[in-house]
Amino acid sequence: MFLLPVLLVIVLFIMFPVIGTIFNSFFRMLDTAGSTPQFIGFDNYGKFLFDPQYAPRFWDSVKFTLMFTFTTVIIEAVIGLMFALILNESFKGRGLLRTVILIPWAIPTVVSAVMWKQIYNSSFGFIKWVMVALGSDPSVITLGDFQSAYWALIVAEVWKTTPFVVIILLAGLQAIPQDLYKQAQIDGAKMFRQFMKITLPLIMPVLTIALIFRTIDCVRVFDIIYVLTSGKWGTETLSYLGFINYTVDLGKGSTVSVLTFLISFIITLIYIKFGNFGKTIKS
Amino acid sequence: MKKVLFFVLSAFLFFTGCSRTPKLTFMVGGAPNEVQYWKQVIADFETKTGIKVTLLEQSGKTEQRLQSIQVALRGSQPDPDIMLLDVGWIGQIASAGWLESLGEYGIDPTPFFGGIITLADTFDGKFIALPVYVDGGLLYYRSDLLAKYGYANPPATWQELVDMGLKIQDGERKAGNTNFVGFLWQGDKYEGLICDALEYFASAGGNFLDQTGAPIINSEANIKALQFMVDLIHTYKVSPESVYTEMNEEGVREYFQAGNAMFERNWPYAWGLHSKDDSPVKGKVGIAPLPGFEAGKGASTLGGWHIAVSKYSDMKKEAAEFVKYVTSFEVQKALSMELGWNPGRMDVYKDAEVIAKNPNLPILREVFINAVPRPSLPYYTAISDVLQAQINEALSGKISPKAALDSAQEKVIMIIKEYGNK
Repeated sequence: MFLLPVLLVIVLFIMFPVIGTIFNSFFRMLDTAGSTPQFIGFDNYGKFLFDPQYAPRFWDSVKFTLMFTFTTVIIEAVIGLMFALILNESFKGRGLLRTVILIPWAIPTVVSAVMWKQIYNSSFGFIKWVMVALGSDPSVITLGDFQSAYWALIVAEVWKTTPFVVIILLAGLQAIPQDLYKQAQIDGAKMFRQFMKITLPLIMPVLTIALIFRTIDCVRVFDIIYVLTSGKWGTETLSYLGFINYTVDLGKGSTVSVLTFLISFIITLIYIKFGNFGKTIKS
Repeated sequence: MKKVLFFVLSAFLFFTGCSRTPKLTFMVGGAPNEVQYWKQVIADFETKTGIKVTLLEQSGKTEQRLQSIQVALRGSQPDPDIMLLDVGWIGQIASAGWLESLGEYGIDPTPFFGGIITLADTFDGKFIALPVYVDGGLLYYRSDLLAKYGYANPPATWQELVDMGLKIQDGERKAGNTNFVGFLWQGDKYEGLICDALEYFASAGGNFLDQTGAPIINSEANIKALQFMVDLIHTYKVSPESVYTEMNEEGVREYFQAGNAMFERNWPYAWGLHSKDDSPVKGKVGIAPLPGFEAGKGASTLGGWHIAVSKYSDMKKEAAEFVKYVTSFEVQKALSMELGWNPGRMDVYKDAEVIAKNPNLPILREVFINAVPRPSLPYYTAISDVLQAQINEALSGKISPKAALDSAQEKVIMIIKEYGNK
């Protein structure tokens, strides 16, 4: 009985839009004055998956999104783990540092994207200032081609979301019983061996969860693309493609959203299957 | 529970079902001072004619203004009777048959910019809207530097612009300002690029679509114009590479305003900001119509707001009276004096009092005579998306102008095939 209001909220605010989006994806719904929605079955899916007019762009954005996601998530896992290990040690000013490291995560994504846009700005940006100070050509462009745009986007995204990984890993590290390390010391295990045999296996479930969250989040990356490159030169992600389609045909936009959901879903399944998720929890 | 439901339902039916007295409503949005001024225009209209007008205030955001108008018209609502439309929406709303032909109410379009009336306000041979506020792309230049390097007039052709820009760019860089550039315009991948591109295309005799609405994107004229845009950056180097990576209206304005550029393509709004007290270029800026490939053949992309009457209006005659009043000489003059708007009526541009307040108006008049609208189609965003990507790609030098426009032509044909018939 007490669950009823909660259930209502879930149905209203989660199930309704989700089912609505799936429903819309079977229609042609032009943003045209006086046009009525038309049921077209799986036509939209056929277009994005196979039609030469739409499919190449869709698959390009899938490729870019996945490439961007995995590069970002791997870098975040490595940097995040290093930061978490440092912050887990006791030293002066640890409390302050733990707070400060959260700042990027607390800034709204659009704001941080605009900030990075200023940093990358080719007329008065910080990067340009540094490069000119180092004796580089003043006409240098930071977002001028695919490679530089790609890495500029990754740096902005990693800066923004690594704190999330750090905080989750830090919680995982603190849950490891200290006895295990003492035991290992008595047995004569060195730092690296302790890390490989105790720390890493025990934070694996937490790391997996952090990576799942970050991967899902990253697959739907929109703000920084919108602000920094607007999908120029092959930096179009799935959600940006969806946004472009929504402006013309609500049905096509919904189709891209549903396909994005399916891709995240498959990735999550892979993580759970191969992420040692169940095994480590049991042991 | 049942009783409550019954009560609510009957109350609902009562309030919606009862016949309503028609009222004249005007739907308008914009900056707070603009809405405030509209209230005054309405008050004056009421005392003059005795017809009561209700103001339906819209959000300041352009997209939301379109949405609220679409919602009302889709539902065949009698209100709003009169609305202010962005020039880009007119074709789309008119093609749904939602706008009343104004000619039948004795409204005469001759005092307005003829080109704008034919290209933007006429649908199926009937004129269905009138320009209240006109906007268009112009060339800003540094008048002090023009004099310093011995030029009497701003450039009339693109070639002159390149020559002058290069000479001044070299001179200023040698004088110590290494950031100085000759010419700035909007080349990033966004709607502003379409506005700029249309100006080059039209000044070469091209366009995106022909009179019948068929795409002519890869025409000789367009390829020549796009090649010139690419050359500005890569061959002449009179425009920096940042034009295609990040330059939008504000980026261009700030760079120019900091004193680091000779020429700038922008909208009329930049004038007010350039001449603010804290602006380093205050008093050193002039405006001119954009150059053409031949002198006098320049083009300017049209923007601005137009007034129209809804097909579903329940007070069409009174609505037409209001349109007449708003587009009258006195109100158009007042809008220009009070809000700094560029009027749709050409005779206001000759009024001494208005010119004293805004000395640029005679030049703006020349600009608006050659204004060209962007394609006004319901699925315009899809076409714009294709053009933005292809033109920006060509500007970056990754593909040739011909390849970019061939590909755009092919894609736009498919878009029209898909969305063209409802």
